[in-house]
Amino acid sequence: MEFADLNISYSAIAPEIITSLTGVAIMLIDAFSKQGARRTNALVAIIGFGLTLAALAGLWTGTWTPFGGDYFSGMVVVDHMRLIFSFIIVIVGILAVLLAGQFLKDEELPAGEFFSLVMFASAGMLMMASAGDLVMVFLGLETTSIATYILAGYRKYDVRANESSLKYFLLGSFATAFLLYGIALVYGATGTTNIVGIQKAIASGAINYPPLLLIGAAMMLVGFGFKIASAPFHLWTPDVYEGAPTLVTAFMATGPKAAVFAAFLRVFAVGFSSPTTGVGETLQETWVSVLAVIAVLTMTIGNVVALTQKNIKRMLAYSSIAHAGYALVGFVTGDFGPVAFYLLAYAVMNIGAFAVIQMLARPGDRKTEISDYAGVGFETPLLSFSLAIFLLSLAGIPPTGGFIAKFFVFRSAWESTPGLRWLVIVAVINSIISIYYYLYPIIVMFFRPLPAGFSKPKVGAGVTAVLVLTLAGVFFLGLMPDRVLGALNQGRGAARVAIQEAFR
Amino acid sequence: MRTFYQNPETIIVNALLLFQQAASTALPGPDSATPPVFSYLPIALFLIVAAAFPGVALLVLRAVRPQVYGPQKMMPYECGLDPIRDARERFSVRFYIIAMLFLIFDVETVFLLPWAIAFDRLALFGLIEMIIFVGILVVGYYYAWRKGALNWV
Amino acid sequence: MIPLSWYLALSAVLFSIGVVGVLVQRNVIALFMCIELMLNAVNLTFVAFSRFLDQTTGQLFVFIVMAVAAAEAAVGLAIIISLFRNRETLNVDEADLLKL
Repeated sequence: MEFADLNISYSAIAPEIITSLTGVAIMLIDAFSKQGARRTNALVAIIGFGLTLAALAGLWTGTWTPFGGDYFSGMVVVDHMRLIFSFIIVIVGILAVLLAGQFLKDEELPAGEFFSLVMFASAGMLMMASAGDLVMVFLGLETTSIATYILAGYRKYDVRANESSLKYFLLGSFATAFLLYGIALVYGATGTTNIVGIQKAIASGAINYPPLLLIGAAMMLVGFGFKIASAPFHLWTPDVYEGAPTLVTAFMATGPKAAVFAAFLRVFAVGFSSPTTGVGETLQETWVSVLAVIAVLTMTIGNVVALTQKNIKRMLAYSSIAHAGYALVGFVTGDFGPVAFYLLAYAVMNIGAFAVIQMLARPGDRKTEISDYAGVGFETPLLSFSLAIFLLSLAGIPPTGGFIAKFFVFRSAWESTPGLRWLVIVAVINSIISIYYYLYPIIVMFFRPLPAGFSKPKVGAGVTAVLVLTLAGVFFLGLMPDRVLGALNQGRGAARVAIQEAFR
Repeated sequence: MRTFYQNPETIIVNALLLFQQAASTALPGPDSATPPVFSYLPIALFLIVAAAFPGVALLVLRAVRPQVYGPQKMMPYECGLDPIRDARERFSVRFYIIAMLFLIFDVETVFLLPWAIAFDRLALFGLIEMIIFVGILVVGYYYAWRKGALNWV
Repeated sequence: MIPLSWYLALSAVLFSIGVVGVLVQRNVIALFMCIELMLNAVNLTFVAFSRFLDQTTGQLFVFIVMAVAAAEAAVGLAIIISLFRNRETLNVDEADLLKL
């Protein structure tokens, strides 16, 4: 390969560069300043995310970099799918930074590391969204995971956080090893790690030993399944989400999940979808049906187990599993649009809900049982009404974003793949079941007596901003989804595949 | 037998000569159909003898030497001083921090090697990229330094 | 020349030893070593395929895996140390405050 074939374009990776540099800058500021410089670091992080958004917008308009190309010899792609997922990731990052100020102040934790880890995790997520090669998928996944392992254990003198971090680390690395072994086998079978190259190799039938490809794809499915917390690979989720600081839980449940879905879609819906040859058809039919089964299991287990939970963080962890299942229903259509919209709506409402939980739980996450919420409804109206709206949105009640997201996913699955309509029916039944456990905390908040000795939590400016933004987001997505849907439709075809044919 | 006692090193010389013979017979030519594994045969033989020699010597000496055990003799030898306490104690966490830093900076060298090989073809671009890479490592090092990870308290 | 399948079989065996180790071991450090074993088994697969296909892509991947594994090891040890400081145990069964 000659040097010119590398196709180097720094504007194509500008978002990743800006986020990483911001992370490094925060580390340096933290090292230079004596007092920790929490405000400065938060400001720098926000500015970094702002510049990243600008870079993404620049890429979207196509002024610097031609659209639809790949750069760095196929490592990085610029298309609608990447940019939409990148927008979701940056939104999650901004909300996390806004929430972090009060968390770090209340618990007197070091600030510099937190913001730089959030920046590095975001850089990893952006890399996953932009990956055109399995090397980038792996690198992005690990950058994100390593940063979030530390974030999960950020309260380093809290035993629960230690445990959460350790479990996340051990099971996360275990899953990564599976994913990596899958990548190795797929590489051996197709002779390339480029995702489009894999698709071409399968389409041309030039597979060295077809079983290798199938085993490799299965192991990659296991690896990705772990990372998005789908059943039966979900067992780490409740423990990790409960033990981690609430803010970190909100971050982990939304950002990395969206990024892994982006990479998952890119690998499976682009790489493993050329049903023209025998092995290609077998592969595609197999993964679509396996994913359909996983989606059913994920939704059902998530929702049914959430019914019995007493701890609100644990309940939302199971709810997060269930929501991954709904997103998987969108996944089997092979189109990224429904998945991206669903994950955007989920990110907004979930971070909002966790922001309220962080406030009501007080420093150290002491009050996270649902019974702790008794009677707080009219004492702290801003928090309790916001939480009620977010929970209703998670349940999928109109006119919230959660409803439109579910509707969009279910409709596109219903219309595009007649062979998988049963999946949509299961999903609808599941979302009806879920209403019970989302309504329960609302009832406890408003209709149970307030225990004595209740003190109102102090809500800082950052948290207020997050609540306003997420509430606006929930209603914007619920009442005026046209703009976002329009942007998604613009990008159709980028990752659209012919799964529909396989199930007609 | 007499020569063995007078000249212990002759056995080594003889063994080496034996290996050389084995090697010259077993070593295939480059066009031979013999698998390449067999060219390791002399090394394997040498390994066996090298392991056997001290083992045999120790066994023989154990049978020959007088065995006297006393408290003074059973004491661990620690630079000539009497040992103060148990050696199995907890190490300072500083060791782990230094080890972690070493682990990171050590493994990052792996990226310098391919660059060094393709240095002439990558030209200025490669040099600048590598300066950036090392610069990031320096930032990490500086951070660890400022945070006191290198201080021995 | 040793055929490719031997390397693949060796790395599959090493990977399986790692998986079984993760499932049966109870000491965190041993668990951690098993995960590293799994990663290195994958590295062997990559190098074998790289040689077999006569490409450098696989070896490039191995470099990245090694660097990432080192970062992971550093973070993992840090997490284990902080757990040990608070709990005085390395047994994963005793990390049981959070339960189903």
